[in-house]
Amino acid sequence: MDVPRILTANWGVPDSHRLPVARQRGVYGRLPRAFGMAPAEITQVVKDSGLRGRGGAGFPTGVKWGFVPPAEKRNGKPVYLLCNADESEPGTFKDRYLMWLDPHLLIEGMIISSRALDVHRAYIYIRGEFRFIARRLEQAVNEAYDAGFLGKNILGSGFDLDLHVHVGAGAYICGEETALISSLEGEKGQPKLKPPFPAVEGAWRSPTIVNNVETLAVVPWLIEHGAAAYKAIGTPQSPGTKLLSASGHIRTPGVYEVALGYPAAEFLEKECGGLLPGRRLKAVIPGGSSVPVMTAEHLLKSNLDYESMQRNLPGGDSNKIIEAGGSYLGSGGFIVMDDTTDMVEGLTNLLRFYAHESCGQCTPCREGCGWMYQILCRVRDREASPGDLAVLRDLADNIHSKTICFFGASAAMPVQSHLIHFRGEFLERVQHNARGAGAA
Amino acid sequence: MSHAAPTAASRGPREWTPEQRAEIDKILARYPTRKAAVMPLLWMAQDAWDWIDLDIMRLVGRTLDLPPSHVHAVASFYTMFKKAPTNKYLIQVCHTLSCALVGADKIVEHLERRLEVDEHGNSRDGLFTLMRVECLASCGSAPMAQINEHYYEKLTPEIVDQVIDAIRAGRNLAEPRKEADQWTFPVS
Amino acid sequence: MAKVKINDVEIEVAPGTNMIDAAQQAGVEIPHYCYHPHLSIAGNCRMCTVETETPRGPVLEIACNMQARDGLAIRTDGDRVKQVRKSVMEFLLVNHPLDCPICDQSGECRLQDYYMDHARHDSRGVEAKVSKHKRQDIGEQILLDAERCVQCSRCVRFGDEVTHTGELRLMNRGDHTEIGMFPGERLNHDYQGNLADICPVGALTAKDFRFERRVWYLKETDGVCTGCSTGCNISVCHQEGEVFRYLPRRNDEVNKSWMCDPGRLRHHEVGGLERLLKARVNGQPGDGVAAAAASIKAVGAPKVALVLGTRASNEANWALAQLGKALGARLYWVAGNDAGAIEKSDGFLMDADKNPNTLGCRLLAEQSGAGDAEALKAALPELAVVLALEDDLVTRLGQAIPGLVALAAKESPTTKAAAVVIPVAHPVEMDCTYTNKQGRVQRNRRATNPLGDAAPAYAVVDRLAAALGKSLGTQMPVVTFLALSRAVPRMNGLDYKSLGPGGKLLAPAPAAALGGEAK
Repeated sequence: MDVPRILTANWGVPDSHRLPVARQRGVYGRLPRAFGMAPAEITQVVKDSGLRGRGGAGFPTGVKWGFVPPAEKRNGKPVYLLCNADESEPGTFKDRYLMWLDPHLLIEGMIISSRALDVHRAYIYIRGEFRFIARRLEQAVNEAYDAGFLGKNILGSGFDLDLHVHVGAGAYICGEETALISSLEGEKGQPKLKPPFPAVEGAWRSPTIVNNVETLAVVPWLIEHGAAAYKAIGTPQSPGTKLLSASGHIRTPGVYEVALGYPAAEFLEKECGGLLPGRRLKAVIPGGSSVPVMTAEHLLKSNLDYESMQRNLPGGDSNKIIEAGGSYLGSGGFIVMDDTTDMVEGLTNLLRFYAHESCGQCTPCREGCGWMYQILCRVRDREASPGDLAVLRDLADNIHSKTICFFGASAAMPVQSHLIHFRGEFLERVQHNARGAGAA
Repeated sequence: MSHAAPTAASRGPREWTPEQRAEIDKILARYPTRKAAVMPLLWMAQDAWDWIDLDIMRLVGRTLDLPPSHVHAVASFYTMFKKAPTNKYLIQVCHTLSCALVGADKIVEHLERRLEVDEHGNSRDGLFTLMRVECLASCGSAPMAQINEHYYEKLTPEIVDQVIDAIRAGRNLAEPRKEADQWTFPVS
Repeated sequence: MAKVKINDVEIEVAPGTNMIDAAQQAGVEIPHYCYHPHLSIAGNCRMCTVETETPRGPVLEIACNMQARDGLAIRTDGDRVKQVRKSVMEFLLVNHPLDCPICDQSGECRLQDYYMDHARHDSRGVEAKVSKHKRQDIGEQILLDAERCVQCSRCVRFGDEVTHTGELRLMNRGDHTEIGMFPGERLNHDYQGNLADICPVGALTAKDFRFERRVWYLKETDGVCTGCSTGCNISVCHQEGEVFRYLPRRNDEVNKSWMCDPGRLRHHEVGGLERLLKARVNGQPGDGVAAAAASIKAVGAPKVALVLGTRASNEANWALAQLGKALGARLYWVAGNDAGAIEKSDGFLMDADKNPNTLGCRLLAEQSGAGDAEALKAALPELAVVLALEDDLVTRLGQAIPGLVALAAKESPTTKAAAVVIPVAHPVEMDCTYTNKQGRVQRNRRATNPLGDAAPAYAVVDRLAAALGKSLGTQMPVVTFLALSRAVPRMNGLDYKSLGPGGKLLAPAPAAALGGEAK
């Protein structure tokens, strides 16, 4: 498939992370044009491009930017831009390569976005495990300051921007934008109640835009090539390219830039290199561990874009989507499982993750994730009864969308989808257990 | 050369050095509030003193005008802040789904045998501490482990042995590895 | 006003009213743990989930993060809401120790109450419960059992937003989230008791009250704390004539939902060792009223001083002022604090003036032309009888007082020096009013019967007047208050009913008047 390399153009170029090479490759070359545009024009280009947030939610970026109140309604408060580089959704590992191989592209995207949003102080919130990447980012930031791309009066435009790298310390939930804000503020990384939404009242109670690394890295291309060129790629509702992270039982795991709408079967065969010899496809989690698991049959009929994955159903109704065999594109973390996979084991693994990562704030998620994990351990160990499966399903339903943030749903959907699509495997683990629900 | 975890006495007083104080001033300048510096300061302290004890939490609280309980809560929330000492090399093996699918458990079991770890994950030679951790965003290059700050990817028992031997022989962890600049990982 | 609909019933509330409070105004209880009207919104317990009407149909949302606005419509009685409440209860109880039989919160525990009201499920939790730290002594007043905690964060917010001490934090995360203190630290403020009040479960309990009584035996009577001039509103919790605790009673204009620990602990004085139960005449049991009347008669009114009390009620002061007028005796009042008072002022609820009615006393003193402490000191050589109404005059004047008649509820240097001591009722034992430092006249209601021979001071003064051949008619406080409010212009003709549960402010002082509320 002939797709422009919007995000990966410089990958594989020696020393692509150093400023001279980056500049030679055109990075920062979009700045003069961006500074020649009115801030509102930049936002308009982003809106017109149809670019959707690449962190997982797929919310239109330009629309999000549009929620920032105009200067006269901000009571003198600054606007902050936060780059979400907390990449921690299991199965997702694209941002780390973007930052490692092309940090200046991200910085350029943040400069242009800051200009559009009237931001003069921006942060990259990067997960603590990526400290080795953070050091490289800091080096790139320093290079950018030295070259006059950051700091006061950038390129004589009169525009000032300070950019800082803030390192997390091990908490999946900080990838949730309001938890990221809490963490940046020096709190535990716990999501905040909405409303107010961050664009109105975010970090330090100021208007704040949080965008994923990949999202921000698209912006320079939009300035250079225009919204129409971007819309020409992908599907009408899911324009552009997306970085997919492929892992699991495939021959060439890795990160791939594809046009949205790419048929999953083709992606699996070409980019992923197909399955290992003699194996059959069993299941795929297509958008990071939080999205519903799909059966092979459903997956192979899907295209990799937001609508197709959701079977064109509204995003909020995950039960209907699961029943229709769909899922979500999410962060593009494509986890492939072949016929050697024990789905009970797999789901237990995921629930251990969610029980470990629940921030502990809302009752259903705090108590329910650990509870679901314990039930699953008993199912896995053949110590549970059929009634436990009913409890498990109930708990998932009682957590889903009953919490402050999306984490609850993220823990619930894997359970709901596994119990629907791989019910037989779960039943097999419990049906010979005559000891009853209370016997474990 | 002793590889044992430093004792309280060997760690020195929990007070900032002039160099650290200068660094703190720089950190504070990055944020509109002092509280925001709590994680950067905890990192600084962990780099200096290996792990975060109660005295360090008090010190960070004093420095930022925060109650020590707040620093404690923050430190307890984030798994990377060490609330207890570990050995010199902390090996954190990811065991979340993608890694589990391609043999993370085997890597852990191999390390357990090879390092003869106790129930706390400490190796018999006092050089390593082994832990299982959740997803480190290295799913394409699974199975993997983070050793101190560095990622070791596409692990097999043989590679694990080489890495352990190299560390025991005094290898510099910061030495670049070929996986670092790859983004696809064909199965050989 | 905003028109909001709660279960199809439309009511008008102030715009921005929290929907939990708005529902309460409509008579609908929305269960909740983390919401507290005087703390910030946390939204974590999820128990207040309701359905809001939206163009897309009903949506589940938490009521605590919703402010009343025109057209807002919520339902609290739908099946989906009931299911959420039930499941929240199930989640809260799955790691709860269920130790109600030995838990002192029993009877006022929201886990118990809401289980009965909204859950009544059979336990499906067969897994091992998470264990946490139990029975931790975290402060002078408070014990913490982290296993009983529902992680609502009220106590955390109280420490951050009310006392600004920030000692309590929710540590760790997930189902290992645990409320706790920094190791080795203790609560270090004078408002610890409030933590037990706001804890909706048995995690934070008050040492002073633990295991004293099961709460379902207790009756609650509205009172006013008499520990200082702030006049925090309280509930007096009592059973069979015995007082077991004071709880703060909500008054947004005075103490919100809080009170200080010294004030809270004052319930011990009701039946304490210092309590005066019998009259004394020259150190011997006797008829105090008769003895006082006899000495007043013997020396004649010009040599008698009646000293109004800053600790005494408005009604008692009015009665004494009337007696002075009837006899032609001299009237005084003496500001200051009694022996043993800790004159701590913290800019919050604790005031350095430890008297509940300085302003009320002063107002009546001004009204009746009473002299101040200096005038009394100057007059002492000419006086033969000085009657002290509840105040410790010996300490306040710092000198001996001739012919001292003390009306008092408890022993003090004044009662010890007095020739005649007459026991009066403790505030919990009478109906009366106090005027706090804001100038708010507040009702205090009788919770228990006066102990021993004590009677309300206004009734004692009435009896004394009768023994002197004067009729005051001040034994009935409701009547007495009416008389005084008619006579004192700044009282605006208030009566007990119009004072309401939260009291009423005095009319502003006329510009020409001496003094005022300002210190």
